[in-house]
Amino acid sequence: MAQGIGQALLETRVHDEAGQFLSGSMMDYTMPRADDMLNIPVDNAVTMCTHNPLRVKGCGEVGAIRAPPAVICAVVDALHDYGARHIDMPATSQKIWRRISASRQHLAAE
Amino acid sequence: MYDFAYHRPASVAEAVKLLAGDPEAKLISGGMSLIPVLKQRLARPSALIDLGAIPDLVGISVTATTVTVKGRTTHAAVAASAEVRQAIPALAELASHIGDAQVRNRGTIGGSIAHHDPTADYPAAVLALGATVHTSRRKLAADDFFTGLFATALEPDEIVIAVEFPIPEKAAYVKFPNPASRYAMVGVFVAKGPRGVRVAVTGAGANGVFRHAAMEEALAKSWSPEALEGISTPTEDLNNDIHASREYRAHLVGVMAKRAVAKAG
Repeated sequence: MAQGIGQALLETRVHDEAGQFLSGSMMDYTMPRADDMLNIPVDNAVTMCTHNPLRVKGCGEVGAIRAPPAVICAVVDALHDYGARHIDMPATSQKIWRRISASRQHLAAE
Repeated sequence: MYDFAYHRPASVAEAVKLLAGDPEAKLISGGMSLIPVLKQRLARPSALIDLGAIPDLVGISVTATTVTVKGRTTHAAVAASAEVRQAIPALAELASHIGDAQVRNRGTIGGSIAHHDPTADYPAAVLALGATVHTSRRKLAADDFFTGLFATALEPDEIVIAVEFPIPEKAAYVKFPNPASRYAMVGVFVAKGPRGVRVAVTGAGANGVFRHAAMEEALAKSWSPEALEGISTPTEDLNNDIHASREYRAHLVGVMAKRAVAKAG
């Protein structure tokens, strides 16, 4: 889940125009850390598989795959009043600030 | 790391002599900035002059009006000092959030200000509190000490002995850490005291720490977060990198300054 939240909010590869990788160290590539995380209750909602006699199915990387849409949906919902219907990952604080300021400028111009 | 000679002088005079005799030598205090640079082979000093064996370069002394921190005093010592917490709580708190525990146990105030990394925390306190930097040859006012990016008024053979902070009436420091490195992307130190109302900004300036004249003027009239409403920060001399544009940094300077004034009370 931390990995998925990192993808949604923090982690990004940045290259300059010449292709030089700019976020190549931990000083520049933002990994989620313990203090970025909450205590997340984990539970299972069990659904039997209908396609095989064992009624089971393999599954992996649940947290990493499910966390980004959950987080991004929450961000977009929070920015709804600013006209946001989509935001590219990672939704960094700068990106959210830009979205809000663009909306305010747009409103001020009206 | 490249080869270098290693000196461990027993006095400031001996250290000054070694420095004066070798323009390619570097002083080492805690080494929290210098060692990584050496490891990456980004610098090639002929010699390291270790200040660690010089007595009387460590310690904190407090009078009714000043807090003096000697050059080789670690961030952890400043953060933990009951006297500093009492006299200038903002200074102790700033020190408690520099780097991580390992850095705070090695890094020193003299090393931090002499290096003048544009994202370092201490320069903001030194400038906002109007501290006086005592060196091996003179006393320098904070306003004259920081001269540019990784640059100070220190002569090549001059050593920081201590930093003397006047005790303010009110002060606070708030920073917005770079999400990856946790260095200050923007840090604002506000102070009201014997040196007047002063606002110093670190992390944001392309030339290192700077004072914010418009904010100082507004806060001198009315010490409140509201007084900073609508005051902008010119973007020309701000840092622009993959983490934050000039415009975002300018915005953060305003937000951090308001939070700092609110925190100072």
